[in-house]
Amino acid sequence: MQSHRDPAEERPEPEDLNEKEVLVIGCGNVLFGDDGFGPTFIKEYSARGGIPSGVGLLDAGTGVREVLFDLALGERRPKRIIVIDAIDVGRAAGEVFEVDLDGIPAKKADDFSMHQLPTSNLLRELRASCGVDIRIVAVQVESIPESMRAGLSGPVAAALPEVSAMVSALIAETIPAGV
Amino acid sequence: MGKTLTIAPVSRLEGHAKVTIELDDDGNVADTFVNIVELRGFEKFCIGRPVEELPRIVTSICGVCPWSHHLASAKACDAVYGVEPAPAGRKLRELCNAIAYTEEHILHFFFLAGADFVMGPGADHKVRNVIGIAQAAPEIGKRVVRNRHLGSRMLNIVSGKSIHPVTAVPGGFSKPLTEHERETVLKMAEEVLEFSKWAIAWAKSDIFPKYLDAVKTVGVIKTGYMGTVRADGSMDLYDGKIRLMKPDGTYEDFSDKDYADHIEEKVLPWSYLKFPYAKKWGEGFSMDLDSPKGIYRTNTLARMNACDRLSTPLAQKELEAFREAFGRPCHLTLLYNWARLIELLYNAEYAVQLLKDPEITSRETRTPVSPRAGRGVGHVEAPRGTLFHDYETDAAGMVTNVNLIVGTTHNNAPINMAVKQAARTLIKSGKYDEALLNTVEMAIRAYDPCFSCATHNLDGRMAVKIDIVGPDREVRATLAT
Repeated sequence: MQSHRDPAEERPEPEDLNEKEVLVIGCGNVLFGDDGFGPTFIKEYSARGGIPSGVGLLDAGTGVREVLFDLALGERRPKRIIVIDAIDVGRAAGEVFEVDLDGIPAKKADDFSMHQLPTSNLLRELRASCGVDIRIVAVQVESIPESMRAGLSGPVAAALPEVSAMVSALIAETIPAGV
Repeated sequence: MGKTLTIAPVSRLEGHAKVTIELDDDGNVADTFVNIVELRGFEKFCIGRPVEELPRIVTSICGVCPWSHHLASAKACDAVYGVEPAPAGRKLRELCNAIAYTEEHILHFFFLAGADFVMGPGADHKVRNVIGIAQAAPEIGKRVVRNRHLGSRMLNIVSGKSIHPVTAVPGGFSKPLTEHERETVLKMAEEVLEFSKWAIAWAKSDIFPKYLDAVKTVGVIKTGYMGTVRADGSMDLYDGKIRLMKPDGTYEDFSDKDYADHIEEKVLPWSYLKFPYAKKWGEGFSMDLDSPKGIYRTNTLARMNACDRLSTPLAQKELEAFREAFGRPCHLTLLYNWARLIELLYNAEYAVQLLKDPEITSRETRTPVSPRAGRGVGHVEAPRGTLFHDYETDAAGMVTNVNLIVGTTHNNAPINMAVKQAARTLIKSGKYDEALLNTVEMAIRAYDPCFSCATHNLDGRMAVKIDIVGPDREVRATLAT
């Protein structure tokens, strides 16, 4: 077999998300119902097009650790990170709200654990030591199934447009229109 | 009345585990339990789906080792379809596996277990983490991050995605590597190789000597070992025969499709997770520290014990020195970390080797497949241990049965035993402190376990649950942090 070198076939190197001004990260497991809101949002938001070049969209799924630790300790970081996640804090299913990082109590449980979620302590570290503006946009789940089941509940799926609007506004605050 | 100590969760593990230490009336350790939340419903979720979808679905099981699941699943599909992947397709799979290993091992040594060694087990948990390392040793932190980042970039170039890969397909690999990409990735791989050489040299000179006393005592248990080897006995992380070694170093090799003849999974009422053991040894199952039965371990130290040699020259030299110092098989649990750095070096060397192979840029990366009724077992050595995917399909290629044995599950019994051993060594007459309890955690972390939870909350509520259990086994109180 011959190796090949056809310039017409060369692909550009994938974008380096660390170099984006705004990074939007969707977290969660698409195999567990409403827990898949973050990845579903990234898929839908990126499909609508018109994303400024300074914005990175990342479906981190359950692999967010691959990104956050390197961001925290890397030489280049976004100005703003927007985390999209589904959580259960007893609100009405599908309610969209921003989570205040300072409102989450510091606990040993959260200590830089590389669990599926960007832990609050690490996010604090990104903000305090690295100067990254962290915004967390959350949707209240209807339920998280105990066994695998894909697909969002009706109320959580209905929250997608509202979260899109919030994310667009947060992007516009950081990056002027058209950049 | 006895007392129960609970460490929950074990921070810096992948996912969460609850450790319960029961003390007797004298304050000594009566028993210990490591309980793990298990992913549920995967098998049912897969039934009725086209088998070729599984390599893409399994990467969402957990973000901790997506490449291992992706490759084991693709290999199981190869076996279901009865095909051998095209040679370039196989090499691209192996390349991704080697790169993913370097990322994982750097992560574990420097970000997870490494914090115990660099900062010391007695350090406050607020600094006993990767940020603490970065502040205490900023130059090391920078190098670590750069080389992990290189791993992610390499995977993005070779496969298009590093987190949820999709390019390993039944019969091979969907994306040929161009010459330009090969040259770009080779430069990065060579940099990671230089880092890996430095990492093991640094750990051997600056880190491990300080902990040799702990290495000789913490979590030491005498067990068997499992790994994967080529026909010549050298270690392979992607394919080969399973080698199951007894505690005395004798072993038997077998094909992955015959795993059920050699391994059985024990169910215990207090654990969500099963306990695989070596059925073939014919001695049953016991986690008794003085007389364990059927217990084997997987993961880095197990692979170093199981193989006869390593196929890359620098790693082989390190293995020889390791065996010279600690013997074969080596039962010292904390040396999983040392073995991890040998494997880091091996994978860095192997990635460079693969990238210098002209065949890796062949356009012929896939063998055509056709649906059929069949059974296929695929296995790889995941960073945390031997990973089996076992699928059955009907004539239309739809999944009718699925069984997975994941790396951490193999180590369920040994982790429990190591914690018991460590706790007994370190907790006497009711006396313990944060450093002692952290050292128990170190014994667990050496296995790099992945206790992947299915759900999460931003405030960690689900993760932290403490049961206080009386001598009558009734739960007296439940605390949540």
